[in-house]
Amino acid sequence: MIGRIRTQTTEASQFVVDWMEHRTGIVTLMEHLLYEPVPKRGAWLYTLGSAVLFTITLQFLTGILLLFYYVPTTDDAWNSVSYIMNDAYFGQVIRGIHYWSANFLMAFIGLHMGQVFFSGGYKAPRELNWVVGVILLLLVIGLSFTGYLLRWDQDGFWASVVGMKIGSYSPFVGGYVIHFLLGGDAVGPATLSRFFAIHVWLLPAAIAPLIGAHLYLLRRHGVFGSEFEYTDRLAKLHERQRLEDYARYETVEDDGEPYVGRRDRADREGYERDDE
Amino acid sequence: MAELQKDPMTRSDFLGFGVMGAIMGALLTIPPVAFVLSPIIKTDVLGDSDVGTGWEEVASVSEVGVEEPSHFKVSFPIQQTYGERAIQDEFPNSGKSTKEFALTNAIWLSWKAPVKEQGRQGSSGDIIGKPERPSILDEKSEGFTESERKEIMSRLNVLSNSCAHLGCPVRWMTDQQLYLCPCHGGLYDINGGWVGGPPPRGMYRYIDAEVRENGKLYVKHAFDIEPGLDKQQPYVV
Repeated sequence: MIGRIRTQTTEASQFVVDWMEHRTGIVTLMEHLLYEPVPKRGAWLYTLGSAVLFTITLQFLTGILLLFYYVPTTDDAWNSVSYIMNDAYFGQVIRGIHYWSANFLMAFIGLHMGQVFFSGGYKAPRELNWVVGVILLLLVIGLSFTGYLLRWDQDGFWASVVGMKIGSYSPFVGGYVIHFLLGGDAVGPATLSRFFAIHVWLLPAAIAPLIGAHLYLLRRHGVFGSEFEYTDRLAKLHERQRLEDYARYETVEDDGEPYVGRRDRADREGYERDDE
Repeated sequence: MAELQKDPMTRSDFLGFGVMGAIMGALLTIPPVAFVLSPIIKTDVLGDSDVGTGWEEVASVSEVGVEEPSHFKVSFPIQQTYGERAIQDEFPNSGKSTKEFALTNAIWLSWKAPVKEQGRQGSSGDIIGKPERPSILDEKSEGFTESERKEIMSRLNVLSNSCAHLGCPVRWMTDQQLYLCPCHGGLYDINGGWVGGPPPRGMYRYIDAEVRENGKLYVKHAFDIEPGLDKQQPYVV
């Protein structure tokens, strides 16, 4: 009985998978996107990029949920956060995940960059992926900065004031930078609106396609240090060394030809001359 | 070149493309950019300010401490986006928001202590004496004459509590007889002069301040900012 149900379920799901594959090619696409050979050495370090992707996905999901209750006005922002924390079901969990995964996101990004830097993973042909990654880092920093003010409590408020005043020290454009962030020339309702717009729409909209580009470039060139690439590079290195050795050997032969060789050639040439 | 000559772009094509391209480009980019940057256009280009430019009452000068500074609250109305008066006054009976937004600053008032020896920014603070409270205040707290008001104003420090480094609120430390910024440890003396820490200058002073006959201090939102910068600029947040 159980066995028959199991067989039928397997057949049904197999049918659905085949049907989808035949029409969209999604299964091969997923296989192509999800499976990536990773070197045996330091395999756990290669999960750092995935950890970043995971935490940033959490940010997107919990951020969308928080928007159901958050109100971006100076009067209501703190109250709405308080409502989320105290009255909304699982509000503490949702906002806690948003808060803590934001913190861990920064840590993971630092570790991920360190891993890429120290393993030399930014070298050709992956330079552009490093550049895209740095842009992503700057966008995440912008998200952290703008998200802090949205709570509209003393902590976030003064941290943002300090951050905006740091921006006001930029050479030549300092005044423009702080007026852009303030939405005027004083902290007020416009400031909160702008930070909200930047945090919720501008930067996520910029970050999403760049994550796509980052992943595309990763899949295009593969993870750096895969077994294949490693042996390939090692073989190339050995080949080059062999050629260098050979070239050196040849030069030696031309310049300082051993006595035996010289006598040999002299004999041969002399013989040939005699022959003429 | 040979490739291009096969399908040459005529002069009129080029001009048409360039002119149309410029028009389309302007149509597509100017509105959104100006929309997002409108605060910069308003404040930096047109020179408007969100903060009200009128006089605001602070407190009676007789309440200022004899030896120690006292802090008071001062609110300047701000007109920003949906908080603008003109927008709120439209359709007065429609029950929409009429909240008045204000920039509330703390203001430190103290009597000037004479500077005995000028310090140098970045290496040492001023050497100062005891704060000198005008003797008129022992007799009366209001109804000052013109000369008495001048005397009071020349003796009064009217300081913003916004640290000159990055804008955190400073507070008076009674033990050290110094203002301390909690963020990065900027230190100032009772006159607001630099004593230690990262601030590049002393505390900001309100440059428009006056005592009126009722004995109260009134200030405008304007500070002693380096020449060349707008007095309303938000370096005092």
